[in-house]
Amino acid sequence: MNVRFTLNGKPAALDAPPAARLLDVLRGALGLTGTKEGCGEGECGSCTVLLDGAPVNACLVLFGQVEGRAVTTVEGLGDGAHLSPLQEAFVKEGGAQCGICTPGFLVSAEALLAAIPQPGETDIREALAGNLCRCTGYQRIVEAVRAAAKERTSREPG
Amino acid sequence: MSLAELPLHGFERPASLADACATLSRRAGKGEETVLVAGGTDWVVSQRLAPLSLGGELPLVLDVSRIPELLGVKIAGERAAIGAAATYFEIRHHSALSRRVPMLTAMARDVGALQIQARGTLGGNLATASPAADGSAALMALDADVVVASVHGERRIPIGQWFTGYRRTARAADEIIARIEFTLPRTGAHQVWRKVGTRAAQSISKVALAAVGEYERGRCVRVGLGMGSVAPVTAALPTVRALAVSPGPLAVPDDQLDAAVRRDIAPIDDVRSTATYRAHVASALVRGFFRTLRPVSNAG
Amino acid sequence: MALVGRSVPRPDGPAKVTGRARYVDDVTRPGTLVGATLRSTVARGRLRGIVRDLSFDWTGLTVVTAENVPANVVALIEEDQPVLASDDVRHAGEPLALVAGEDALRVQRALQHLRADIEPLPPVLTVADALSRTAQIYGSDNVFRTVHIAKGDAAAAIAACPVQLSGTYTTPHQEHIYLEPQGVLAFWDEGGGAHVLSSCQCPYYIHKGIKRTFGLTDERVDVTQAVTGGGFGGKEEYPTILALHALLLAKASGRPVKMIYDRKEDIEATTKRHPSSVSITSGCDRDGTLRAVSIRIVFDGGAYVTLSPVVLSRGALHAAGAYRWEHVAIEAQAVATNTPPNGAFRGFGAPQTIWAMERHMDRIARTLRLDPLLLREKNLLRVGDTTPTGQFLKESVGVARCVEEAKKASRWEERRASPAPAASGMFRLAPPGAVTARKARGIGASVYLHGAGFTGSGELAHRARIAVDLLADPKTGRARFRVRGGSTDIGQGTETVFRQIAAEALWVSMDRVEFATPSTAAVPDSGPTVASRTVMVVGGVLEAAARSLFAQIEGERQQKGGSFEDAARRLLAAHGTVTVEREYEPPPGLAWDDATYRGDAYPVYGWGCAIAEVEVDLDTFETSVLGLWSAHDVGKAIHPTNCKGQIEGGLLQAIGWALQENLVMREGRVVNARLTDYVIPTILDAPRFTTLLVEDPFSRGPGGGAKGLGEIPMDGGAPAVAAAVEHATGIVCDDLPLLPEKLFALSKETRR
Repeated sequence: MNVRFTLNGKPAALDAPPAARLLDVLRGALGLTGTKEGCGEGECGSCTVLLDGAPVNACLVLFGQVEGRAVTTVEGLGDGAHLSPLQEAFVKEGGAQCGICTPGFLVSAEALLAAIPQPGETDIREALAGNLCRCTGYQRIVEAVRAAAKERTSREPG
Repeated sequence: MSLAELPLHGFERPASLADACATLSRRAGKGEETVLVAGGTDWVVSQRLAPLSLGGELPLVLDVSRIPELLGVKIAGERAAIGAAATYFEIRHHSALSRRVPMLTAMARDVGALQIQARGTLGGNLATASPAADGSAALMALDADVVVASVHGERRIPIGQWFTGYRRTARAADEIIARIEFTLPRTGAHQVWRKVGTRAAQSISKVALAAVGEYERGRCVRVGLGMGSVAPVTAALPTVRALAVSPGPLAVPDDQLDAAVRRDIAPIDDVRSTATYRAHVASALVRGFFRTLRPVSNAG
Repeated sequence: MALVGRSVPRPDGPAKVTGRARYVDDVTRPGTLVGATLRSTVARGRLRGIVRDLSFDWTGLTVVTAENVPANVVALIEEDQPVLASDDVRHAGEPLALVAGEDALRVQRALQHLRADIEPLPPVLTVADALSRTAQIYGSDNVFRTVHIAKGDAAAAIAACPVQLSGTYTTPHQEHIYLEPQGVLAFWDEGGGAHVLSSCQCPYYIHKGIKRTFGLTDERVDVTQAVTGGGFGGKEEYPTILALHALLLAKASGRPVKMIYDRKEDIEATTKRHPSSVSITSGCDRDGTLRAVSIRIVFDGGAYVTLSPVVLSRGALHAAGAYRWEHVAIEAQAVATNTPPNGAFRGFGAPQTIWAMERHMDRIARTLRLDPLLLREKNLLRVGDTTPTGQFLKESVGVARCVEEAKKASRWEERRASPAPAASGMFRLAPPGAVTARKARGIGASVYLHGAGFTGSGELAHRARIAVDLLADPKTGRARFRVRGGSTDIGQGTETVFRQIAAEALWVSMDRVEFATPSTAAVPDSGPTVASRTVMVVGGVLEAAARSLFAQIEGERQQKGGSFEDAARRLLAAHGTVTVEREYEPPPGLAWDDATYRGDAYPVYGWGCAIAEVEVDLDTFETSVLGLWSAHDVGKAIHPTNCKGQIEGGLLQAIGWALQENLVMREGRVVNARLTDYVIPTILDAPRFTTLLVEDPFSRGPGGGAKGLGEIPMDGGAPAVAAAVEHATGIVCDDLPLLPEKLFALSKETRR
């Protein structure tokens, strides 16, 4: 089945089995290996991508379900040449250690900051509760999101 | 791990409820299996744990996540209708629901975490009929009706008759859950959602209580209860409900209440908890709810 | 420029935040097959054969059984574990056969058409059964190893004490849950050389295993570390088995083979933290002055020896805790059971024995009605004291400062006196109808130490080697530097810290120092990335190597003039790449006797104090950790942010172990091998951390005195949480985890 959708801001079309997991299509046919598989049952959030702006687990979405919708992966967060404020903050604040959960966290955090530009600590923690990290104890991740929120606001004109 | 079989399934995305019903009817008539998938939070996960098929015909996957008739939340007068494919995320952020049924909002906020809330649906909870489903407990407390559709039209099934056994429902093979309807709790009703899970988020309930207590002139006239993970099906706690109305919450001694809870549930030991603990927590939650019923401040 | 001590941005960060970092499952080679494993479903039995269903189409599929394994042993401490079971089956999940093919689905189907013909035997599933020898499964007594440590005459000294107390403390399995499951890509070259790309901590362990199993020489084996998604010890020894499996399939098929475990297989088959039971009898004065202690330790090793002897050894060496005892007697045993082998996990035996000692300290405080932290402070080890092995502590004992700082930051006295009202640091979402409103708060503490580096003569035996190269930048021709060693970055920041250390010693900026991907074909063996040794031991060797290279360039400059850059270029022109390789030199005077367990067990110790505040729901017994204050003596923090990240991550693993993580086994099989049912803490379960770094430098540590730190935070979290629960509720729980179900059961006995 030829599925048409928007991938990282650009129109895309791909002939792939529609009942395959979006995760497998992203990592396989589309070569976007930034989206990771940690559990395959929607628990760890390592495969988080945005579906029409909402964070979802790509391991639970069937490829055919994205027809006509917009998918954003970690590869779509920066502009290629520069890191986004969130990506930058994760590097600076120690939000990434082993890095395998990091793409998922970044995608979830991106959705948070789009909805709540200046989140409080509870907002941050609730927004990231579907992403597991075994390295950091989460504190540096909270700090990174806070720092990115500040940076994004200061970059806005006016 | 038959995840590897997923690509082999047929997949269709019906454009309307009528199309979906037609497909279901045709396939059911031929004895062919069809899987209705919305958020995939149950079925896709189950595919990784299921043994491989023996190579026969695989079920057809119908994507019901965007059938227009299954979407949205509508409130007309004192009746609410939630589309079977409306997500927890939508329910959680629905302002009228959060004003009138904060218990439902709280439940939606407690399901999994955002990624699951963005995909999971009440229709999914009802269809898979897990006794641990948080949505089912909340709908039980609201005494909701499940409206199913087929080529023969609609059928309305009270939730009390919906669950027919462990992970079994009253839905026929050619039917699809269209929406859930319920009467909004009266203004000033006491409402409680309390989930006791394995951790603070992304957790499956060990015990969950949904409760609504409605008043008329300072008297408790109706109590709706739903409890998850304490029986093969979502528990309605009929004995406890009756006690709340007569003799009324103030008049029920704790030991009588505990005995009623024990009569209404059948908890088991499993990898997540124990029967003893579940029984204790079930009692503690019900007692706690009865305590909130007692001080009547804002009657009807 | 002072790079050391600064939290520079991680150089591996940009690749990780953009998704460009290539983990093993992100890498492929043309013609790669998918490999999978047939495993035993019984805990013990005799394998009569592997039977193929001949009605199944086996075309294009490769099957490997024990007969195809050249030397069927996994080279570790002992060679008791086969690569594939050939005769005896010793645990559920044990690999029996392997299948590879083009298509994952056909491989799965093929596994279903292979039948293991196993004659079941009665398994030994508990330590008690192992010790009472219900069946003989290892040696004559089912004991892998026994360790004795003695100082003075503990029995007599305890008998003479006015206060004698005994207790038994137990801990369960813990699964690592590195978020990247284990995986490998392997192939053979035309000359018969083996190539492996692995998610691992220790490429040279795998190298050794391959040489042994396939009978190859050093240079025929190339093991490269892929970017690795967490290890925590779980990718210390296990990746060797996985690499051997993939190489067997690659050899039989003539194709590259990739094997990636899914989460279920990873939890069912790979190693876990050793369950433990520790019994302590102590003698002290009425004022709480500790005198003597006798400790008996039993670890469940699982079905094969793997690393159990050394895990046990470290456990025993930490059992007396951070305290002064005049008399000590420790007896420790690791025993065999028919359960999946237990292995390395952050802390390596110490978290188990420190759990016991810290709960025992709380028992003493409870009995004598002393403030638990005052009791600890009164008995802390200091410079000039000796440990149970007779090690004289001559420097870098920062424990008193750790206690002082953690105490101050947590406002210990205040919270201890009035446990109820305190500023909320709680992130649990507030339930709308608070039906279970009865909650209690409490605060608890633990104090601990962790030996940095290998135990005893380990460092001497391994002789870490590391190299620093001076080379020309291919583009600019400028001088560049490269660090080469087998030490891996598994998230903890090896690359960052090594580049900092080298750049500082070379007086250049960090971007001029690269970190070579650990690959046995290209880097010397700096030893495994374990035992809190990477920064302190290997970093020390690296610092010496980089200084020596600097001296060489500086010598050239002084002789012939020009800038440092000019001198470096002259050396490059004359010699090509210049390499300085250094080897570990033990600090003078370090002595250890493995036969008697006397001497310097570790070159130095890290020290820590953790203080937890919890809130317990008195109806449901759910426990939330609200705040976690800690202070750790790290000698010198080379990268403070990384240090804090390590500490907070380790403490949260300990909190998970304390409150949530519960591996359920039935008949020796893991029955909750899913992240839904084996639950680790989410961000809403994590407390707010206040993380303090104390620097009491180690004279031999790099960067001005750094000590090991990777494991120590795992030691202190659980006992602090249990002490806080006790303070909040009066419930004394000496058996991990503190599940609500268990606290509920205990509450019925306690009745405060």
